[in-house]
Amino acid sequence: MITLSDIPARSQMPLTLPMGIFVVVMATAPFWLARVGLYQYLGVEIAIWVLFAMGFNLLFGYTGLHSFGHGAYLGIGAYAFGLFQHHAAISLWGGLFAAIAAASVAGAVVGAFLSHRRGIYYALLTIGFGQVFWFSAMKLHWLTGGEDGLLNIPRPDLVIGPWRFDLNDNAVFYWFVAAITIAAVLLMWRVVNAPVGRVLQAIRQNETRARFVGYDVWRWKWLAFTISAAFAGLAGGLFSMAQQSAYPDVMSLHQSGIIVMMVLVGGGLVSFWGPVLGVVLYFVARDVLGGLTEAWLLWYGLLFVIMVMVRPEGMAGLLHVLLRRTSGQVSTVKPEKA
Amino acid sequence: MPVFAVNNVLHMTSLVPHIVNGLTLGLLFALIALGFTLIVGVMEVINLAHGSLFTLGAYLAMSTIGASWFAGTPFGIWWLEFPLNVRYFLGLALGPVLAGAVGMLLELCLRPTYGKAPLYGLLLTFGAAIVVEEAIRLVWGTGEQSMPVPQMISGAFLMGGLIFSTYKFYAAGFAIVAILMVWLFLERTPYGAIIKAGAHDSEMVRALGYDLGRLRLLVFGFGSALAGIAGMVMAPIWGLRPHLGIDVVIPAFLIIVIGGVGSFWGAVAAAILVGLATGITGAYAPAWSLMSMYILLIAIVGFRARGLLGRRSALEN
Repeated sequence: MITLSDIPARSQMPLTLPMGIFVVVMATAPFWLARVGLYQYLGVEIAIWVLFAMGFNLLFGYTGLHSFGHGAYLGIGAYAFGLFQHHAAISLWGGLFAAIAAASVAGAVVGAFLSHRRGIYYALLTIGFGQVFWFSAMKLHWLTGGEDGLLNIPRPDLVIGPWRFDLNDNAVFYWFVAAITIAAVLLMWRVVNAPVGRVLQAIRQNETRARFVGYDVWRWKWLAFTISAAFAGLAGGLFSMAQQSAYPDVMSLHQSGIIVMMVLVGGGLVSFWGPVLGVVLYFVARDVLGGLTEAWLLWYGLLFVIMVMVRPEGMAGLLHVLLRRTSGQVSTVKPEKA
Repeated sequence: MPVFAVNNVLHMTSLVPHIVNGLTLGLLFALIALGFTLIVGVMEVINLAHGSLFTLGAYLAMSTIGASWFAGTPFGIWWLEFPLNVRYFLGLALGPVLAGAVGMLLELCLRPTYGKAPLYGLLLTFGAAIVVEEAIRLVWGTGEQSMPVPQMISGAFLMGGLIFSTYKFYAAGFAIVAILMVWLFLERTPYGAIIKAGAHDSEMVRALGYDLGRLRLLVFGFGSALAGIAGMVMAPIWGLRPHLGIDVVIPAFLIIVIGGVGSFWGAVAAAILVGLATGITGAYAPAWSLMSMYILLIAIVGFRARGLLGRRSALEN
């Protein structure tokens, strides 16, 4: 089986081929989306969920901590953005900052409870906390608007120096979201290639050994959870702008499970870029299969089950094997410089 | 506000119905968790499809009782002439058996994940849960349906000036009988001994000449059938909707972890604890009653990593 170290995020070059493809595709999407039968808003959705999934994979794929309640932090970000617009000020950066801050604080508190736990107990506690947040969002009517959620969240204008952009235009909004997603993904790339990323991967491979080497594993697990929650919060802020509302549905266990499915199908366990493939496949499947049959999730679920059975390393792993076969290479693992 | 204050003071007597409700709910939770704990104990697979099999069993039983597919056919007309009691008991038998068969199919799909990290079993059953739920939606539609119940166990009765639902007592009694029967099966029969040995040391069981593959298949089928029985019994109380599964599997999961993975009586004790917590919270803050189980989970697992009566398990790695 392939692992993350077979498809290393680290490379001798600052710019790798997948990164180039990612940036070019994200940057040019508005020009060809309509031509291939898709639409602008889908691009916005995919960009937001790519940001969420990649941030989630720092925890799930890199650190090996299996959170099944991550939708909660996306939801907290969305509510924080909406509440900021409604009660503090109509401000783009203020709202996004509030979204990141709220999700990070929630993540930091939950992470403090979680970080002593391992394996299935870790996963279970993330479900428990996720459900507490979801339940609170449903029941705290005075704050969150209950099941209907917060409505009429504005999209404030983007002001850069003398220029003012109206984000209510979906094309302009796409550029904004894509720019933030690209910046965030490049930041994550930096994180996983820094020594921090090495420590996180060491914890995934063998937590006990990482502790014996001298790392304070508790603190690193806490940090990974908090960072991941912060990215989820940013994605949540953008999500509430996109939907112009925030509602408890995204915080449900179902949605938290879907994000795990996306990351796994894409190959987040073996590749930094895996989650991107998974998110794109999910949304395109939703629109294409969803146009053919009501029960598209049934087919997606079957695809997922088969994937776990025969190819748990996902699309990225499949691609890797195919590329290796066609180029006749024996191994892609390059010797590291000392 | 004095009126508000008086209303808020609950005397012990007014708590009684909530405690009774909590106890019956706890017994039903134990029934739900029974098949789940069996599969976790023997195979160390967290079966997230448990809730969907629960729902599937209930839907199949409902269709058997009401003859929903074949109502127009001569067979359906002949069948519907039977008294409800007869049809009810056949549904009680057939729903769980079919749920068990689907569970066995799931076990066959799970085979490639044995020997890998427990995450893969968890993910596969999560996918299976979605597939079963969508299939239910496709066959029976998205609307809420209700399960017919024979007259002798429906209605309500008066006890000590308080009204209790007869069906809840029937269901709680059914749960007690089922729990005892499963316990006797595990403790007092040679099959139970093999299953427990499989949970303890599967390699040794294989070395003794038992077919481990068949054992796992049967345990999974049995656990899924227990899910189907629980679904059949719970359906008249909770109603039937396709996404019921997720409301069911989470309490089952919580109960196993609070009770300690692999502990039979730990799970039963945890179920009753969760039921009581839900019932008593319902007395003071009805809107929040379902939240209490998550708080209980965080409180208990936060301090006792392996739950009330848990032992070390491969699932921790």
